[in-house]
Amino acid sequence: MSKDILIVGLNHRSAPIEVRESIAFENSYVRGALVRLREYPTVEEGVILSTCNRVEVVAAARDCETASKEIGAFLGEQRAQRHAESLDRHVYVYQGPDAVRHLFRVAASLDSMVVGEPQILGQLKQYYDAAQQAGTVGAILHRLFHRSFSVAKRVRSETGIGSGAVSVSSIAVDLAKRIFDRFDDKTVMLIGAGKMGDLMARYLQSNGVRSMMVTNRTFDRAVELAEKIHGSPIRFEDFPRYLKLADLVIGCAGSPDVVIDAGTVERVLRERKQKAMFFIDIGDRRNFDPKINDLDNVYLYNMDDLRSVAEDNLQERASEAEKAEAIVQEEVQSFIRWMGSLDRVPMITALRQHFEEIRRREIDKSLGGGLKDLSAQQRAALDDLTTAMINKLLHAPISQLKKNPNDDDEDTTLYVAALKRLFDLEGK
Amino acid sequence: MDTLFLKLTAFTYLIAAGSFFLFLFRGEIFSRLPALLLLLGFLIHLLLLVSRVFQDGFAAVAVTGYALLFYGWLMVGIYLLIQLRYRLTILGGIVAPLAFLVSVSSLALGRGANEIPPGLQSYWLPVHVTLAFLGNAVLALAFGVSSIYLLQERHLKHKKMTALMKRFPPLESLDRLNYILLVWGFPLMTLGIITGSLWAGIHWGNYWSWEPRQISSALAWLLYGALLHARLTAGLRGKKAAILTMFGFCVVLGYFLLGDSLFPGRHGGRFE
Repeated sequence: MSKDILIVGLNHRSAPIEVRESIAFENSYVRGALVRLREYPTVEEGVILSTCNRVEVVAAARDCETASKEIGAFLGEQRAQRHAESLDRHVYVYQGPDAVRHLFRVAASLDSMVVGEPQILGQLKQYYDAAQQAGTVGAILHRLFHRSFSVAKRVRSETGIGSGAVSVSSIAVDLAKRIFDRFDDKTVMLIGAGKMGDLMARYLQSNGVRSMMVTNRTFDRAVELAEKIHGSPIRFEDFPRYLKLADLVIGCAGSPDVVIDAGTVERVLRERKQKAMFFIDIGDRRNFDPKINDLDNVYLYNMDDLRSVAEDNLQERASEAEKAEAIVQEEVQSFIRWMGSLDRVPMITALRQHFEEIRRREIDKSLGGGLKDLSAQQRAALDDLTTAMINKLLHAPISQLKKNPNDDDEDTTLYVAALKRLFDLEGK
Repeated sequence: MDTLFLKLTAFTYLIAAGSFFLFLFRGEIFSRLPALLLLLGFLIHLLLLVSRVFQDGFAAVAVTGYALLFYGWLMVGIYLLIQLRYRLTILGGIVAPLAFLVSVSSLALGRGANEIPPGLQSYWLPVHVTLAFLGNAVLALAFGVSSIYLLQERHLKHKKMTALMKRFPPLESLDRLNYILLVWGFPLMTLGIITGSLWAGIHWGNYWSWEPRQISSALAWLLYGALLHARLTAGLRGKKAAILTMFGFCVVLGYFLLGDSLFPGRHGGRFE
């Protein structure tokens, strides 16, 4: 039986995080695991993917039914003994075109928890490289993975699936980028030393912001955080004086009262000659007066605003995902055609064999029955006659199969499939 | 031949304008196409102008049909310079349709050469026209930049994100570019007014005749001057600066659109 592509695994939809964690492959163990995987007689080629959202084995296998059971057991072995519960209800199995589609969708980030997130492609490449180094990649998975990388690139360039930030920090930075054209000459003031502010500050730094001020009601906390992010601590009662230096102001003071009102900002703006300011209010309670947004050259976004932008972007991505699915579908078909063309040569052999067997059987039957009195010469003539007949009969179909040896020839694939069915050659 | 070139120019600008829609909706794949098409149009346009100058002399740029064509060419040229430096592809989306309109109306207006009395054909004329048009074209682009600024600003204020907004540059860049264009446009406009006035002085004996275009130019000049002053000293920037820039150009444009027909004067083709 010819080889087929098989994917056995689980992802963020099929299994809860505890289960995913329990069978995740440590980076340093992947190589060893690949070698063990290859030891199964049914598994010809294999790649292991293990990210926080999915653990999957992609294989080119001989007998898919057995192979899927074996790979399932292989994944189960990953678990520590204390997990008595079986993995079965979390594990999915894809085979053939479904498996190809699944991998293409994973690569194109259509199967991600956050659709369109860009990391998955890099992870895929990383695990593919590991398998290649371990020597468990052959012609089929080589082609499959390289196709999946180019499908991902195609989806990214032809659809807007990766556009529009969806996390609060990245949305805030996205917005800031529409106000300011560079960050290295900008100053950020962080009001409150909470977790969210810390995160946002780091994200801004990774986007080029160099100058940071941190203020907090408890000065020690401000000093502590300022040290961590290489900013300057400022006493809470002093911060209004420093406000004019800040281009971005992040509020996460967690206090129930308004920390900065519109009047203050108006004054500060005059002092800084109307240079634009961006206020980001990410506390649970609003720290900035909503009227601030009414002032010219000032933009105020609070948590709800950022969330609604995220919502919009996710919707945008969902509609883009439909376009992406169409691309994936197209690519799956072209890959399946290629797979089919691999069957061509074995098909010709199988077809000849099939006819030859029938010929032998029928001649033997006749020679044992009605034709048993034939002379050796006549027997040879009969042999020649039947062989010539079969060759003549098979000549047209075989030359048709041999024609057009290019991968994308749809007809050939069709013929191979038809012959398989018509002459019952499956499994020979 | 001449008409063929003009049609070709108009056609190229039309395709360039269309390609901006591709850029807006299909994104990065088409990011270079619009500017390249505008460049192509610009070059054909240049050939057309050169051939005309050979036939009719440079002074002919002052005649309406010509003038418009020359003005459009300058505008596209300045845009291409800006594009080279600031990658403001979106601005081309305003320039390309304008350039198309200019070349089409020039086609409709015809050549109308040799309308200028020989007595007026001095070197002052092309110098005055070129400077005035240059200043005007720079300010036209400032108008475009300001309108993009206001669009972007509005979206940010109203917290509406659309995919379209991603094609727009940050407010800071737009504001800076707006300022740079003002800094270039205002002196050019000033020189245009001065040379025009000198020329008038030489030919008609009076430097200032309260002609409609002179009045509108003076008004616009005062407005732009005040804007530049406020930008430099009072820190006027952003939305208000963008609105004033657009208003200033409307004063100029208003005359261009209505002035010639409502108040025919020397600029309107009556060189009495």
